[in-house]
Amino acid sequence: MTALRALLRKELLVLFGSPMAYVALTLVVLVTGLIFFDHLRLYNQTLFLFASSNMGGFESDTVPDYINLRDTVFFPVMETLGITLIGLIPLVTMRVFAEERARGTDELLVTTALTPAQIVLAKFAVTYLFVTIMMLASFVYPAMAIIEGGIGAQHLASVFVGLSLHAIALASIGLACSAYTSNQLVAAVAGWAVGFVLWDFSWLSSFSFVGERSIAFLDAISLHLRYGSFAEGIVNLGHLVYFVALAALAAAIARFSFDWRRVAG
Amino acid sequence: MPGLALCGLIALAFAGGAYYATGSFATFSMVNAVLGLLALGAAAIGTVRRARGGASPAFRAVLARGLLGIALVLGAGVTLERLATASELQWDWSFEKRFELSEGTRTRLQELCGRASATLYADEYDPRARSTRLLLRTMAASDCLPFRERNLADSAADEDRFGIGSSNTVVIEVGGQFETVSRPTEGTLYEALSRLARPDAGVLYVTRGAGEGSLTRNDGSGFSGLREALLTEGFRLRDLVTAATDEIPADADAVLLLAPERPLPAPAIAALRAHLERGGRLVVFLEPGGESGLDPLLSEWGITSPDALVIDPASGPVEGAAPGTSPLAFHYGTHPISAGLDAGRMTFFPGVRSFALRKPQPNDRMETIVHSSGRAWLSTDLEATRRNRPPERPEDAMEDYHSLVVAARYPRGDQEARIVAFGDAQLASNQYLRALYNLDLVMNAMHWATEHTAPGTRPKVVAVSGRLQLPLPLQNTLTMFQGVGLLLPELLLIAGALFWARSRV
Repeated sequence: MTALRALLRKELLVLFGSPMAYVALTLVVLVTGLIFFDHLRLYNQTLFLFASSNMGGFESDTVPDYINLRDTVFFPVMETLGITLIGLIPLVTMRVFAEERARGTDELLVTTALTPAQIVLAKFAVTYLFVTIMMLASFVYPAMAIIEGGIGAQHLASVFVGLSLHAIALASIGLACSAYTSNQLVAAVAGWAVGFVLWDFSWLSSFSFVGERSIAFLDAISLHLRYGSFAEGIVNLGHLVYFVALAALAAAIARFSFDWRRVAG
Repeated sequence: MPGLALCGLIALAFAGGAYYATGSFATFSMVNAVLGLLALGAAAIGTVRRARGGASPAFRAVLARGLLGIALVLGAGVTLERLATASELQWDWSFEKRFELSEGTRTRLQELCGRASATLYADEYDPRARSTRLLLRTMAASDCLPFRERNLADSAADEDRFGIGSSNTVVIEVGGQFETVSRPTEGTLYEALSRLARPDAGVLYVTRGAGEGSLTRNDGSGFSGLREALLTEGFRLRDLVTAATDEIPADADAVLLLAPERPLPAPAIAALRAHLERGGRLVVFLEPGGESGLDPLLSEWGITSPDALVIDPASGPVEGAAPGTSPLAFHYGTHPISAGLDAGRMTFFPGVRSFALRKPQPNDRMETIVHSSGRAWLSTDLEATRRNRPPERPEDAMEDYHSLVVAARYPRGDQEARIVAFGDAQLASNQYLRALYNLDLVMNAMHWATEHTAPGTRPKVVAVSGRLQLPLPLQNTLTMFQGVGLLLPELLLIAGALFWARSRV
């Protein structure tokens, strides 16, 4: 237990004491901010365009329903943020296992009283904490859109849960990739590639030989559909279990890397 | 092998990326997808060979245990996810509870189960399609309305066939019949499902000629919304011109009187009396101050109504009306007409009179369906609804639970006459029919009168909140951008720089 606590402490210090973490946080906040304000600017322009081309302006009921903060700002920002995280989260996870391997400290870790499963759990837990903080920081803008748009606190909670679960799923994928290499860049690229492939399989429906059952299966494992329903305010038990199962599977794969190294070197 | 696998993954990611960027699966995507899959396959085969060839039996056992662990986690995850999905358990945290289906929608879905299917036609980047997709997916979860999605740009033939005018249109098909819903919400989909279900709620004769509310007028004080709701729920409407009526047609399941402003002719009153005596049904909407000439007839059947206005402190704010004159009712009797209504599901009566009940015969059953609050009193100042000043309260005014809607059954031999009386007609007007739960109350009354089962509470109108369409002024946007958009990243970067500097010391 003491060893586990020491490992958790060390992981926290390494993560929060490293400038790289703050650079990643800054990048996420900055990118989210730019996406948000760009959509807000477009929304204001569109709204004024409709209002000024109709004599009655905002009171005339002539602005189309879909020009509103929710559909024009909030949802597109969430959509873009979902894809952006695929690129940013691996920057946080790439070093977690790969750095230990590159420095050879992973072998030292294995010689401690800790089991490989405990090592994996500690690293996953600390990364999840960091990713959740990252989501809190990036959520300032969508939250502002929600508050301004009067969408409500419950909806806000739903979106945050969805965003955090999506980020945690991407972090899990990134960690699993990091566990199989000593090169941080390879870990980041692998995490990015797997995340992007898993994001959405709708492109496969272009093929006539992909049947409806296959499409349904691929839809069931894609991140986009699961994440999207939270943005709409739906908290579905199936989606929650999906994200938890994905994290557990990634942890099991990361755990297997210790066995794999013993065999394959 | 890891390098090959990584290249395969990158190729697959670019195949998908190119599809997102261009919207079509062109040669670039195709080549990348094929090469990516080949590389992943080769890497997998190579990895297995390496593990089999290079490892001792002891190591193979370690590998097998590890892989078994992954397989177990995967199996458990898939099983749990399938169980959770099958449970259909979800919480609607959206602002307007847009994805919680009403009883009415669920009833219609059950009626059409196995026969209906829905197709969403949308442009690829239409933001509205997301909500519609989720709504249809919620409906599809009942296994009664499978849905698919079609790109509008690829569906020219369907556009002509179904009369699709814009993106985000839903077509519901039942056999050879279809309904096209161009602004899909739960309410409009419910109406389409209702039309396809073709329920038969009976023949309703609507009186005309004595200044009744018009079922064809589209403005706020008209009743065209009520007409649409009646048709949607399967009522067949017939006109009954009171000036030329001396007998109610035998096929009438019920007669509807919508706030006559002038007294009905004596032959029409006599016809209504005869209609009731042979077990007919009557739904009456009265207004305070109205001279319908129905009072003696209703009195014969035990329903009397003082010509007074109910003043209730529990009133809704209506522009131009005196405070207290528009009761918000939330006390309901237990009755099929008030099924699904409770203290949290209020109804709204903009200017209402009350009723008193007295049984004509011992076996008759007369019930109050909607009460005012216990602090309501009666005022004879009938003009109060039009002033912005509350009527003066007489010293002897009695506070009581006044009856705003009543229903009565009169068993006569093997027949049973029924009367439903509303103390207000405006609650069924276009302006107020869809306010709160007025529509449910009115339609339940119609179904009860004609002895048909109502489908349950109906979907509520979901409107885009006015605040959602207000612009954020440029100055506010700039302040937000400088205050939060730049300050937060700056502080984070400063923190990172401090940690970096500290680590160098």
